[in-house]
Amino acid sequence: MHKVTAVGLRSLWYIVMLAIAFIMLYPFIFSLLAGLNTRTEFGHLGALFPVPSEPVWSNLLIIFTPRGIRPVLNTFMRTAWYTIIVCIMSVLMGYVLSRYNFKGKKFFITAILTTQVIPGVLTLIPAFVMMAHIPFVGGNNWMGMGGRGLINNSLAIYLPLGWTFLIWVFLFMQAMKGLPRGFEEAAEIDGCGFWRTIFQVIIPMQLPIIAVIAVNVALGVWNDWLIPFMYISDIQRSTLPAYLGQLVAALQRFGDRDYPRIFALSTVAIIPPFIIFFFLQRYIIQGIASAGIKG
Amino acid sequence: MSGMSAVKLRGPEKTITRAMREARIAYWVIIPFFVYIAIWNLLPLLLGVLMGFTEYNALTMPTWVGLRNYIRFFTQGDYLTLLWRQVWIGLICLSLNTVLSFLIALALNIKSRAKGFFRTSMYIPAIAAVSVTSAVFVSLLDPLTGGANRFLAGMGIDPITWNHSQFWMVFWVVVYFIWRAIGPATIIWLGGLQGIDPSLYEAAEVDGASAIKKVRYITLPGLRFVASYIILTGIIAVMQMFDIIMFLTAGNPFGQTDTLMFRIYRYGAVTFNLGMAGAAGTILGIVTLLFAVVYFKIVLHREAREDA
Repeated sequence: MHKVTAVGLRSLWYIVMLAIAFIMLYPFIFSLLAGLNTRTEFGHLGALFPVPSEPVWSNLLIIFTPRGIRPVLNTFMRTAWYTIIVCIMSVLMGYVLSRYNFKGKKFFITAILTTQVIPGVLTLIPAFVMMAHIPFVGGNNWMGMGGRGLINNSLAIYLPLGWTFLIWVFLFMQAMKGLPRGFEEAAEIDGCGFWRTIFQVIIPMQLPIIAVIAVNVALGVWNDWLIPFMYISDIQRSTLPAYLGQLVAALQRFGDRDYPRIFALSTVAIIPPFIIFFFLQRYIIQGIASAGIKG
Repeated sequence: MSGMSAVKLRGPEKTITRAMREARIAYWVIIPFFVYIAIWNLLPLLLGVLMGFTEYNALTMPTWVGLRNYIRFFTQGDYLTLLWRQVWIGLICLSLNTVLSFLIALALNIKSRAKGFFRTSMYIPAIAAVSVTSAVFVSLLDPLTGGANRFLAGMGIDPITWNHSQFWMVFWVVVYFIWRAIGPATIIWLGGLQGIDPSLYEAAEVDGASAIKKVRYITLPGLRFVASYIILTGIIAVMQMFDIIMFLTAGNPFGQTDTLMFRIYRYGAVTFNLGMAGAAGTILGIVTLLFAVVYFKIVLHREAREDA
């Protein structure tokens, strides 16, 4: 009797979890299928599973047109840029904050932690306004008036450095606690200065945590559609998720709806995060878990 | 080891120069990053507060209007309605997400070969941007051609004009929010669950404690910090949620799903009512922090009482 209920519970567990997993994955299945439809067929189908009678693979190749490839390249470049910057920042700052003693160290650490609880609403719009009023660019005079500043300028999606990234400095600091000082002391006796210690001791020893930082930052920046969406209206200078943001926001207005194109682009935009996720899943999970537990 | 003692033997004057050298490097590393981040974050924060005291449309110079925007916020228009709507929609999203993710974490905290697959599937929605997945919901909810109504028709149920009903649009906003946010929360809960010392459960088993008692007296107290983290970051997230609203409902029907954050976004980036955007943004930021502080005080107070 006891055994029967145990088997029953196990099966129930499987059924419930499978149902949940299906719900979680369903929108991606829908998106993939819908992106392979022709426009007319999608309009007629209106099904929960819009299986195309004949898959239009060329929908997915839309990004390999001269106009289509730019946003994709921009997204890659922006992701690479911020990933590198944040990794450098986390390693350097995390290292000196955890190992060196100097005046004001407590202040810097407190400042880093404080920035993590400041609601983004306080900076979102003013940062946008500031971007429009940077002096001497985009037709602005020395007071920052008269032009549009860096709005719609490619630099706008590369220059800002949000303070939410400082959480990774903190994570690196925590990781340094687990590394015995002996390695650095040995390097110092061998005559290594600051930079050589960083490159030859700290970075090689801390590669796992650097991977955690890189993967999570890359995923976050790839998916950050809001900043390019706000700052740049020309899709040739924007990113793929921001371009999709424009298309999806337009769905709320009246007019013509090219759903298959949106879904085809969505499928393309999901591919890089999926690849990162499937190959580097443990780094992502570790990033989330350690941010939650140590933060 | 002999190397280490050699360093220490070098005498006090060396130690002082070493401390100075360390401080110099530290400042050279930290201060440029801090200044740069301050320019892009602290400066806008201060500008935003100042902006709230002006009337400003981005074309002409701002004019100082004192507290007028703040008075307007509390006495005219629908700002308080929007703030309240941000709060209650956010509260539904956050509380449901916290409870559901906890239940799923409990369900996943067992030994099974399928566990990895289920955990992965929970997390996948979070790795795609809102702008990339919300079109699925928009398309399914299309009143005429959408899959949801076709499905209902197939079941013999009358179609629902989703976008004409505040209830249904809030419902779908909540569904979408949870769909995206449940994975990370589940993983954080799971991390907390695995951090609990298993010997506590063994001891409880020896004492003959029931499963519910084990959850009440071991699991829940062991998850205090994880719970605070999920709820605090959740409060900050839902109080600024506007992307889901923008993509799924655009505030419709008739502005009945419009929230304060979505209004601030439109004032700031679309209609350039920047003075009001600054004032409303400052108010929403302060309200968010107040909620966080109140939550923190309640938790700390309760913990202090339990420990006493």
